[in-house]
Amino acid sequence: MAGQQDWNSLSDAEFREIFRTWVDENCPMHLRNMRKQRPVFDEVAEWYHALAEKGWLSPVWPQQYGGMGLNAAKHIIYVEEWARLGCPRIPDHGIGLVGPLLIEFGTEEQKAHYLPRILSGEDVWCQGYSEPGAGSDLASLRTAAVRDGNSFIVNGQKIWTTLAHCANWILLLTRTSRDEKVKQKGITVLLVDLTSPGVTVRPIENLRQEADFCEVFFENVRVPAENLVGEVDKGWNLAKAVLGHERIFLGAPSRPEVALSRLEQLAEARGAFSDPAFVARYARLRLDLYDLGSAFERFAKQLRDNGTLGADVSVLKIFCSELYQKITEETLDIAGEEARFLDDLPAGNGHVDAMNLYLDSRALAIFGGSNEIQRTILAKAVLGLPS
Amino acid sequence: MPEIILEDPDGTFAMLRDSVAAFAQRFDGARVLRARRGAGRDLDRDIWSAMAEAGWLGLMLPEDLGGAGLGLSEQAILSEALGRALITEPLAQLSVFSGALLAGAESGEERSRLAEGLISGSLVVSPAWQTTDGGYAAVTATIDANGVTLSGTAGLVVAAASADIFLVVARSNDERVLISVPAGSDGLSLSERPTVDGATLAELRFDGCHVATGQVLARDLLGSGLLDDAIQATRLTLAAELAGAGSKALEATVDYTRERVQFGKPIASFQAIQHRLVDMWSAAEFSCAAIVNALERLADEPGKPAALAVLAAKARAGDAAVDITRKAIHLHGAMGFTDECDIGLYMKRAVNLNATLGNPAQLRLQFVALERAA
Repeated sequence: MAGQQDWNSLSDAEFREIFRTWVDENCPMHLRNMRKQRPVFDEVAEWYHALAEKGWLSPVWPQQYGGMGLNAAKHIIYVEEWARLGCPRIPDHGIGLVGPLLIEFGTEEQKAHYLPRILSGEDVWCQGYSEPGAGSDLASLRTAAVRDGNSFIVNGQKIWTTLAHCANWILLLTRTSRDEKVKQKGITVLLVDLTSPGVTVRPIENLRQEADFCEVFFENVRVPAENLVGEVDKGWNLAKAVLGHERIFLGAPSRPEVALSRLEQLAEARGAFSDPAFVARYARLRLDLYDLGSAFERFAKQLRDNGTLGADVSVLKIFCSELYQKITEETLDIAGEEARFLDDLPAGNGHVDAMNLYLDSRALAIFGGSNEIQRTILAKAVLGLPS
Repeated sequence: MPEIILEDPDGTFAMLRDSVAAFAQRFDGARVLRARRGAGRDLDRDIWSAMAEAGWLGLMLPEDLGGAGLGLSEQAILSEALGRALITEPLAQLSVFSGALLAGAESGEERSRLAEGLISGSLVVSPAWQTTDGGYAAVTATIDANGVTLSGTAGLVVAAASADIFLVVARSNDERVLISVPAGSDGLSLSERPTVDGATLAELRFDGCHVATGQVLARDLLGSGLLDDAIQATRLTLAAELAGAGSKALEATVDYTRERVQFGKPIASFQAIQHRLVDMWSAAEFSCAAIVNALERLADEPGKPAALAVLAAKARAGDAAVDITRKAIHLHGAMGFTDECDIGLYMKRAVNLNATLGNPAQLRLQFVALERAA
């Protein structure tokens, strides 16, 4: 691994230039602008390893653990340039979720064991949170972990587990005790080897007829007690703590930006810009995207100045996901009779993946806390409205 | 509640906000508005003088003309605060627009006199540059050795009955010129119509109206960019005022729904109400973000990027304020439909400002046309 320098001491412009140049030279062209939002590990392994070798796989982990140690301002640049160059998303639960969790709450042994294996790609992680009966109401989860000597015995089921079918480890929220008044109590975080006997992973085909999430079943799965993170029954706050400033990226303008450029491409090809009714609708979408950029910057500034974000950042995710949907809906509208096709639409010298984006845009308003949940959070945390 | 967030190292912005808050203690915006509306006046000269004393009328005028020489950021903070307090005297037109025209005019006695009067409040200087449909005023100026003769009409003129001077934008041959026309001049008549928010807009009719050549303050208003600059500054001012009004209407609605009890609970505890309030808050946040973006683009990237940003800010703030205040009326229930309840005044104010200098649909089309122009 290449030696790291103190990236945060560079100016934003210098860092952007260095990062962009290397990424543009090293991210394979055939992986750029992939249709899939969530490719599996093998599809993007060469990009994963190239980043790992450069030492740039993990932007925010401290350098002592092999990360770049970027502050929020530089991390935003990292994510922006990544999106601008059309680089594919890599399976990143290890980097974005498990790593920060272990760095903050793990034992020295856990850090020494797991972190290097994430960076090498040896361990690919997924996130075992949602259950059939615990989606928006996550704290009502029921997958049980019962202590048995030096192990926990896990029984239950997870669902909507993104990329579990290409992962070999899962970060699991389990129920270890039940408090009738406060369901957030009694939740415990375990690190579970997906190759353990009793684990079954079953991919679920999504709306786009791709398997990017799964069901994961646990039947008397024995998990060594040393795989416990933090304390028994006190896992809820751990799970919440690692969300951190990454929440801003759920509302980053990159997805609607891509969608709008596709809409423009199709509109140009179909002559829609000479239709005043279309132009008026387009103008609304264009301005929404422009203003999303301004709003993103409002929160990015907050993050740069204070190092943290408030609950109010959820507004970006709501606006972004709804805008993404509106743009993809408009794209189908101007496709006219062709809006029925599953495959890409010819447009000028290229193609526009109108249906692909239309279907994809359904997801963002649902995952990571549905927009209704986000609105309720804002009502309570920002406006202080009563229950 | 959402507000325009700018770095304030020397405390100027906080001071401006405080001074508006103190002013609003003396002059309750809603009460002043109702009194003015009841009396059928188009401007409250007492308030106007007090605003002059506060130093607000010459905020952006250069110091050599007697102004404070501050920038659009200060103006935006001031106007946001005025919008919150529902202080509705037409500062955007009478101070910002007229001030920008005077600041860009050629040096001369008349310009200095008008600037001084504008800043002190002793002269109400109202711009007359549009027709009622928003285009350039249909006024022709014939300039010769004997002076200037004006014919035609101009519309959408604020505070016309109170005005001492009209800054008329007239066509002269192939250019637009700026002419100072005293109110009450021979050959000048006006007819006022009420606006929804208790003010008026007038149409001016020039029928061989004659003024001296020295009253021509500037030439080539379009080529020089002077008129565009004045429009841009005023649009951003209006955006800030709209943002302030929207944010305050949201605050009032949050307070009301927390207090109003039905079915044994505050109505703000119902999810249907909560989600509407969150959408209103979101609209207010986006307005403030759009205004800050415009201020930054004006500072860092004048020209096209700044022009786009101002169009976006006015469109966003207008849409947001109208939407917020409409929802606010609804969430106030039957109370919201009474004239007694201030929330309706906020909606009416938002409707007026939203329609001023381009409504959101028009501004968005201008944005797209400008952005897509090669």
